[in-house]
Amino acid sequence: MNAHTTKLLTEAETSLIEVAKALPQSQERVAAQEALAANGLPTRRVEAFHYTDLRALLKGEYALAERPSEEDALAIGNRFPRLVSDAAVLHFRSGHYFDRGEVLPDGVTVRAELPKAAKVSTAAASTVALNNALVRDGLTVQVAAGAKVDRTVGIAHAHSAGENTVGATRCAIEVGAGAECSLVDRSVGPDRVSYLSSQIVSLDIAVGSTVNYTLSNEEGDAAKRLARLAVTLGKDATLNLFILNVGGVLVRQEIDFDVTGEGATLNISGVNLVGGDAHVDVTSRITHHVPSTNATETFRNVATGRGQGVFQGQINVRQAAQLTDARMACNSLLLSDECGFSAKPELEIFADDVQCAHGATVTDLEESYLFYLRARGISEPRARQMLIKAFVAEVVEEMEHTDLIEPLEARIEAWMDRHV
Amino acid sequence: MLEIKNLHARIEEDGTEILNGLNLTVKPGEVAAIMGPNGSGKSTLSYILSGKEDYEVTEGSITYEGEDLLELDVSERAAAGVFLAFQYPVEIPGVPTMTFLKEAMNAQRKERGEDALSTPDFMKRVKAAAADLHIDFNMLKRPVNVGFSGGEKKRAEILQMALLEPKLCVLDETDSGLDIDALKIVADGVNSLRSPDRAMIVITHYQRLLDYIVPDTVHVLSKGQIVRSGDKALALELEEKGYADIIAAAA
Repeated sequence: MNAHTTKLLTEAETSLIEVAKALPQSQERVAAQEALAANGLPTRRVEAFHYTDLRALLKGEYALAERPSEEDALAIGNRFPRLVSDAAVLHFRSGHYFDRGEVLPDGVTVRAELPKAAKVSTAAASTVALNNALVRDGLTVQVAAGAKVDRTVGIAHAHSAGENTVGATRCAIEVGAGAECSLVDRSVGPDRVSYLSSQIVSLDIAVGSTVNYTLSNEEGDAAKRLARLAVTLGKDATLNLFILNVGGVLVRQEIDFDVTGEGATLNISGVNLVGGDAHVDVTSRITHHVPSTNATETFRNVATGRGQGVFQGQINVRQAAQLTDARMACNSLLLSDECGFSAKPELEIFADDVQCAHGATVTDLEESYLFYLRARGISEPRARQMLIKAFVAEVVEEMEHTDLIEPLEARIEAWMDRHV
Repeated sequence: MLEIKNLHARIEEDGTEILNGLNLTVKPGEVAAIMGPNGSGKSTLSYILSGKEDYEVTEGSITYEGEDLLELDVSERAAAGVFLAFQYPVEIPGVPTMTFLKEAMNAQRKERGEDALSTPDFMKRVKAAAADLHIDFNMLKRPVNVGFSGGEKKRAEILQMALLEPKLCVLDETDSGLDIDALKIVADGVNSLRSPDRAMIVITHYQRLLDYIVPDTVHVLSKGQIVRSGDKALALELEEKGYADIIAAAA
């Protein structure tokens, strides 16, 4: 640390550094603590956090979430039934891995070891720094080359520790050449408990593989979640990524894609539901490194109450990446006077023969539709729900991983019952 | 069934007066035709009956089955049996027609303290009603009114009317945008719903619709008032002489 740094740290920053200090030290953990002590958590002055003042929003004096007992670990899991009944699920409880001896599908192997850390280069990498400082447990999931995995593999995060506890995990998923698999990455937790969850997943998809990946954030309504999914997409590989944000009071979900193989296809879609006092930030960066790759990104957002949503979508097309076809759309429904949604598309294009498009819309529910439904006897709240569902269903119903459509729609309806 | 007394109403946004002391009584089983020139307040009357919030009633009363209709909101009126067949039914992307029909039927049943329909029972009713109105069942797999032709939209309105079994039907220019064949199908649909305890208010510009849906009473609306009432012969007289003469004579 620089000797002249005398940054005044917040209660949250100080406590998180203390938590890190009490853990077994490694080079990366020490570096992360130093970075946190020097920079603090990012404020709006850090461009990547312009709409999410993490320093102001992340409050509390945190302590490490202890490893829960087997009984507690089971009990919290039982409160949240599986999204896919026959999935092979890998369990984290409050950031601790529980090996339940799950029978894995053919072609899938799991090692309960912490994957290598990502580098922390700038203050914008706070999500990574925090994870490096706090992470205890992790997994490396490997899908063998050529494997056609016939069951869904799930990573389930459930937080069961109390107020102001923090859990952090890091997973690496390596999909071998020509494989096909469906993965679900889901996080749940109790309502009214202000816990912090830090999660990083790296997903490497090799030549010619097809992966369906679904990220379902169903954290408790007072949870803080700082998460990052970093993807490398190889030649002729396809990723169908779906993201549902339905939980948490403070959510920063970073998604970062390096498209490194020609002919790769990236389909990203998602639904962000932001109600109550929630602040949900999805920050996406797609970098096209090579020629002839495609990316589409479609988000449908619904904000209500005092909810604040953020979508930052960056598309970088490197000079070599001719014939890139990238399309981004961000459509938001604002249902109350006090809610808001900030959408910031960014295109950085250094190749000259590419197609890139982006669009953002913001609307309220269409009054004439509401009147029509009500004129048939449907109550106003129900009519509003039907129209909101119609708005988000368009992306949900196009999910490649069709088993998830119904359970995710159920989560969306549960959210609407609370907030609409 | 329905008694409108001295009804004054204006557009909430700009205060434009539309209805100016309108009086109208409709008895159970009666089919009342409301005719009048453009801008006389016909559509406003239909919207006020259905409870659209863009209009403000400044004076007068509407009594429906002995109750103050103005006390009920839009969906409560529908559940109480008031049905508006829209002049321009909206297309609602993303809401499947079947989901919409089931929601509407069950919402009204719930309001009346009845059990929700089972899916097979619901399907049976929709299929039967669709067949009566020559509606291709595949059309109902689309979102509400999306991609329907003008005639299909009007038929879909009558289908909803048949399924919801209202007590007071308000048909707002149901004939507009219909060719002769479609007009006949729609009129047959409406006629089959005529019953001694169901009243209908048929709003139209033209006598032609009344050849198919023969009214018991005809009322001429001008500048927000009923200026003349009569039986079906009045409609023929209007067709012959035009609105100007009749309104001038009434004034």
